[in-house]
Amino acid sequence: MDKKTVSTIAYLSRLSLNEENEDKITEDLKNIIKFVDQLDGADTNNIEPLANPLEKTAKTRTDNVTAKNRKEVFLERSPKSNEDYFLVPRVVE
Amino acid sequence: MSWETVIGLEIHVQLSTDSKLFSGGSTSFGAEPNTHVDLIDLGLPGVLPVANRGAFHKAIRFGLATNAEINQTSTFDRKNYFYPDLPKGYQITQMALPIVGKGSIKIEVEGQEKIINITRAHLEEDAGKSIHDLFDGETGVDLNRAGTPLLEIVSEPEIANAKEAVAYFKAIRQIVTFLDICDGNMAQGSMRCDVNVSVKKSDAAELGTRAEIKNINSFKFIEKAINFEIDRQIRILEAGDSVIQETRLYDSVKNETRSMRSKEEANDYRYFPCPDLLPVVISDEELIKIKNNLPELPDEKEKRYVKEFDLDSSEAKIIASSKTMANMFEGACAKTDDSKLIANWLVGDISALLNKENIDIDESNLTSENFATLIERISDKTISGKIAKSVLEEIWETGNDVDKIIESKGLVQIQDESLLETIAQTVIDNNPSQVDAFKGGKDKLFGFFVGQVMKETQGKANPQSVNEILKRLLSES
Amino acid sequence: MSIQYKSIKELKNMLNDKDISHTELVQETFLNIKNNSALNSFITLNEEESLKKADNLDNNPSSGSLAGIPIAQKDLFCTKDLKTTCGSNMLSNFIPPYSATVIENLENAGCISVGKTNMDEFAMGSSNETSFYGNVQNPWGENLVPGGSSGGSAAAVAAGIVPAASGTDTGGSIRQPASLCGISGLKPTYGRVSRWGMIAFASSLDQAGPMARTAEDCALLLNEMCSYDEKDTTSIDEVIPDFTENLNSSIQGLKIGLVKEFDLSKLDNDVVHVFEESKKHYESLGAEFIEISLPNITLSVPTYYVVAPAECSSNLSRFDGVKFGKRCDNPKDLEELYIKTRSEGFGDEVKRRILIGSYVLSAGFYDAYYKKAQQVRRLIKNDFDSAFKSVDIIMSPTTRGAAFEAGSKSDDPIQMYLEDLFTIPANLAGLPAMSIPNGMIDNKPIGLQLVGNFLDESRLLQAAHNFQISTDWHLKTPSGNKS
Repeated sequence: MDKKTVSTIAYLSRLSLNEENEDKITEDLKNIIKFVDQLDGADTNNIEPLANPLEKTAKTRTDNVTAKNRKEVFLERSPKSNEDYFLVPRVVE
Repeated sequence: MSWETVIGLEIHVQLSTDSKLFSGGSTSFGAEPNTHVDLIDLGLPGVLPVANRGAFHKAIRFGLATNAEINQTSTFDRKNYFYPDLPKGYQITQMALPIVGKGSIKIEVEGQEKIINITRAHLEEDAGKSIHDLFDGETGVDLNRAGTPLLEIVSEPEIANAKEAVAYFKAIRQIVTFLDICDGNMAQGSMRCDVNVSVKKSDAAELGTRAEIKNINSFKFIEKAINFEIDRQIRILEAGDSVIQETRLYDSVKNETRSMRSKEEANDYRYFPCPDLLPVVISDEELIKIKNNLPELPDEKEKRYVKEFDLDSSEAKIIASSKTMANMFEGACAKTDDSKLIANWLVGDISALLNKENIDIDESNLTSENFATLIERISDKTISGKIAKSVLEEIWETGNDVDKIIESKGLVQIQDESLLETIAQTVIDNNPSQVDAFKGGKDKLFGFFVGQVMKETQGKANPQSVNEILKRLLSES
Repeated sequence: MSIQYKSIKELKNMLNDKDISHTELVQETFLNIKNNSALNSFITLNEEESLKKADNLDNNPSSGSLAGIPIAQKDLFCTKDLKTTCGSNMLSNFIPPYSATVIENLENAGCISVGKTNMDEFAMGSSNETSFYGNVQNPWGENLVPGGSSGGSAAAVAAGIVPAASGTDTGGSIRQPASLCGISGLKPTYGRVSRWGMIAFASSLDQAGPMARTAEDCALLLNEMCSYDEKDTTSIDEVIPDFTENLNSSIQGLKIGLVKEFDLSKLDNDVVHVFEESKKHYESLGAEFIEISLPNITLSVPTYYVVAPAECSSNLSRFDGVKFGKRCDNPKDLEELYIKTRSEGFGDEVKRRILIGSYVLSAGFYDAYYKKAQQVRRLIKNDFDSAFKSVDIIMSPTTRGAAFEAGSKSDDPIQMYLEDLFTIPANLAGLPAMSIPNGMIDNKPIGLQLVGNFLDESRLLQAAHNFQISTDWHLKTPSGNKS
């Protein structure tokens, strides 16, 4: 975990670190990773990972449309929209 | 030096469920922007996905039809990336344990059959749509499509050229439409594909570096994009350079692929199991029920048509290859007996009209009822085959009822032998020199007399009767 | 008549006996909120709506089990048309168009949601120091933290402003502040309470629960909070018992496990003393202690600090300035929109966790960290499964000590993470756990943690209630013993 790694994961996370907190956060991350490195010691051969404590299977729903048009409610909560769309700065593809 | 191409396709098939993969939002196409959006599709804080069992059933139909392994326990993962039309900042997909495992499909190119193996087919949610060209300096985001279920069908890299790729895509399209799990509508984006292309020297064991061409949605463009890409890669390799593994975009206007490197920068999707969704389990009974309700597929149909309706295998193949054509055939056969005549018309005149307009039979005005009546009117000699063509054209234009067209246009075939005899006699009387020549051995002139009688009757005479009457009268005269 | 420090049960009696009207109760509550504004325990108040509801209840009596009971809701639950910030600048303008199932359940039972409580930003913190809306003060001392992340809820109950509050617990966020504020708090079995409408921190760990003065009140609240919810497929479709039913049954013969691997000798003598006293008390009530081994439990904190950040890094991606919440000013392009919005919208602790999460999930590290942690998580769960074959509940201190001073740990994330040493295992295994006050250290309360088997909240509540009817730690208030 160095500054370069931090800047890569920061970009993946769409975060920028300013000069004041960059060093501190890099140092914190280093320590946290060192701390979680304790896990190395555990013998996990043939142990199935546990993604959710409920070892159950999912309930599903039948294929029915239940949603109503709530366009106005949603668009008015958006930082920027017109009467039909959410708006973001032009994306060039 | 000869080069060998290796192609793999990832086809995204929009499943024709009513509601979305994880919400009760509607999946119907063409609605006003952002009107088919549920709290869940918007990814509001605190919302949770609930999987749509209908989407699983459709995916399983595909698996069964391609002889694939069905994973009766399948799980969901998150694929993390930022894009405005991806509301949650991750896509829910099936990475580790997809619903459909290894299967295969048969394709045919220039009469040669080939089996293409399918690696897997997994469920995932579609993204919304970004509209880049509608607003000044801004991109509009429409989330109607966000959350629509997709089945991503991944082929093994076993496709050798653009023609095979197109044949494979068509085979997938055929099967998903037959299974009624996708409308197959390419123009509406119901099927899109990503193509992986790599090139290697024929004797090389290792695959070459591949480029992925994203989001192509027509047969024509698949072929063009692949051919462009093969040329591009060969040129690079022959110049001694190496191909870069990257995502490329096909520009249909310029007919070229170009790098999307900017979008790819530092891409790491950080897949992990979706903690909101527990494994979905399909019971044995459920699976058997789906299996028992699987519709007949083209190969089986073709065989049955030959056996049951006595069609030639070439006709049977053409009809069985399209679901709508097969429906028309079976619909008409249910109402009238002359299945061979039905097949002739479908493969002949009707296919010609469809090709001319480049439409599907269910987009035309022809219904199976009207078509059956048309065939019946030919069989019972109400109209001649020739008149039938003009009736078909009228149906094509207006969709009017066959019997009404025949009646209103007075197209009923003249069966009245005495009337036909009178007309034939008049023709003979008016053309003495031709009669003489005919009798002198110019047999070909018989057609002239038939033509004249047809002209007099505006084509409505029963040609068989006309033949018989003329033969008799000419030999008597 | 003062309502301060009254329990739900007491307030219900007062309302029933017409000692106080619903409107008076709500008016008094808001008076108390304002008198205690220095605690900074609320982010948003819901006064007008609350008075309307109270007036309605005065005119149309309701049969709801919690009719008219004022409740403070953690600002992590979406409340329809009432601002919900999750303690973050990112959501400082967010008005949800829907309510969380927990909120609906409580309000359907007649609860009046008087306001939204302060909390660590996105529930990430153990001291309420990461809130965008400022620290919350522990009513037990001016510069003391209330714990976190449900710090505002704990402080509001501890100060006697409200009899009840909702909380959420991902690694101890109900139990640790309950301990530091001297109140009772319960984290139910994962899946007992619907997560619909809870702003997710770590989806496989998050669980909502009640915070109140007594275990009995927690039972009353839990009765209403629980429901099988089709909108949350991780909510459990099992019969929900009446959690008050067995409260008064004797705990004679209750088998209590003590975890061998928790080395209490490392704790302050005072803390150990308080714990030993509680053991003695339970023995006097007929319980029996059995040493158990949870061999992997010492790996709980590192496991948690892989799993929780991984899930949070993904859960918080939706805060991108496009559909709701804040957006930075005048972004020049999409990239800047994302980066500036998120960098301005999130505080440092949230950023730290997102970064850790992105790191442990990234290509090349997934197996070493995330997969490994999920495997250890199973080992920890297996340890509990075998322990519960020989014991009914497992007991430990809730926290390593009483409330600490603001600023004393906020510079060192690992010290702060270790705050949750005793509480995290129950989240990893999805087990119910609660904290009840069991002593005082330097005039600061501290709590006892009871962990139960899957879906066995009733037994926890019974053990806690038995303790409370025979002790008075839960009656202590910052202004003296409750009468």
